[in-house]
Amino acid sequence: MSRGIIIFAQNNEYINYAEQACACAGYARRSLSLFDEICLITNTETLAPNETLINEYFDRVIISDNFQPENIRLFKDTTDKLEYAPFKNMSRSEVYKLSPYDETLVIDADYFIMNDILDQVWNSDNDVMINSKYRDISGRHQENIEYIDNFSIPMYWATVFYFKKSDFAENLFTLISHIKYNYKYYYYLYNCSGNLYRNDFAFSMALHILNGSVAFDVPSLPINYLNNSFDLDDIYRVNSHNDVIMYCADAENVSSHILSRFKDMDLHIMNKKAIGRFIDDLLSHGEKV
Amino acid sequence: MSDITKETETSKEDLQRLEKALEFSNTMKTFNLNKNNLKVKTQNLLSHSTSGGSFTVDQSLISFMNFVVSSGKTEITLLDKNDIPVYIEDTEKFLDDISSLYFEVVNDYYNEYQKLKSSRKIEKVLEI
Repeated sequence: MSRGIIIFAQNNEYINYAEQACACAGYARRSLSLFDEICLITNTETLAPNETLINEYFDRVIISDNFQPENIRLFKDTTDKLEYAPFKNMSRSEVYKLSPYDETLVIDADYFIMNDILDQVWNSDNDVMINSKYRDISGRHQENIEYIDNFSIPMYWATVFYFKKSDFAENLFTLISHIKYNYKYYYYLYNCSGNLYRNDFAFSMALHILNGSVAFDVPSLPINYLNNSFDLDDIYRVNSHNDVIMYCADAENVSSHILSRFKDMDLHIMNKKAIGRFIDDLLSHGEKV
Repeated sequence: MSDITKETETSKEDLQRLEKALEFSNTMKTFNLNKNNLKVKTQNLLSHSTSGGSFTVDQSLISFMNFVVSSGKTEITLLDKNDIPVYIEDTEKFLDDISSLYFEVVNDYYNEYQKLKSSRKIEKVLEI
């Protein structure tokens, strides 16, 4: 059975996602060993100016130039800066069709793998694995399961998920696509909040519908919690491929920060500008093809 | 006049104590955050997958497997962390694997925890 890691990246005027995807791929290659390839799914516009760098970090590139309707997101860089920019995140529903692998691990371009736990996904008996439990590394969010709404379903994080080619996975992604094209309807049905199309919401709703629209448990990844660094945090220093020191926004005063070190811990760093500031370090500590 | 001086001195003292307490509180905040993050790292690392299933490695799993092996059972079906039944065909190897993992991960946790406790100066502890 072929095994691949897939990362999506589509640039906007604000963030160079291609660079970040390369850094992410470098970390994945450094920490994991049981996969066959790391593949980037991107569009022509993103690939063209970044092709040399991308070929250094990815075994394969798949182009997906599907039209994406406007999806404007607020990007925060600690409490200092806020900026609205397009968030091109809608190709993820196509990953089942696009993936050339029997088993696929999809990770966000801002998810840095720093241990080998995710190597345990390969050869799983489960058709799909995805986590609802997460942790805020700064301790600001005390709950570790988020709900789409207080009266709605638990939210599954589409940050990292695994699937193998199977009926269940195919039906899941068919539903996710359907929800994407009829988002307004499902948005109100499930009482979603915010103006953004979120993959997390679409995945959660699709999983709920596929399981008969009743309370359900979806097999989780081998990691118990996703370690989330929200966008009020910042990076202090990147020491190595498995060692990062973060500025974590203080729960009592979010414009102040507490230092915390993360060694051998996967990190989901949502402050994209922080990643941009340290991109050279992150690229240098990762492993190339 | 001396009452005012005394009052001023006392309030300076109080201020210094307060500053010390706040500094200590900041250090404690940093210590607690890093301690919690270490704990979560350990929980995440205590994971073992085999035969298509994923197991959280803890003392009760190890004790149970010890009982299974001591009873002479060479194969068994167990519920994994997702409550899915998983067939283990070599119980002794499974016990070996999970015990080694547990000792290694918890030992690392101990060492890092000691480092964290060793100094009030956070720059020293985080090796900044």
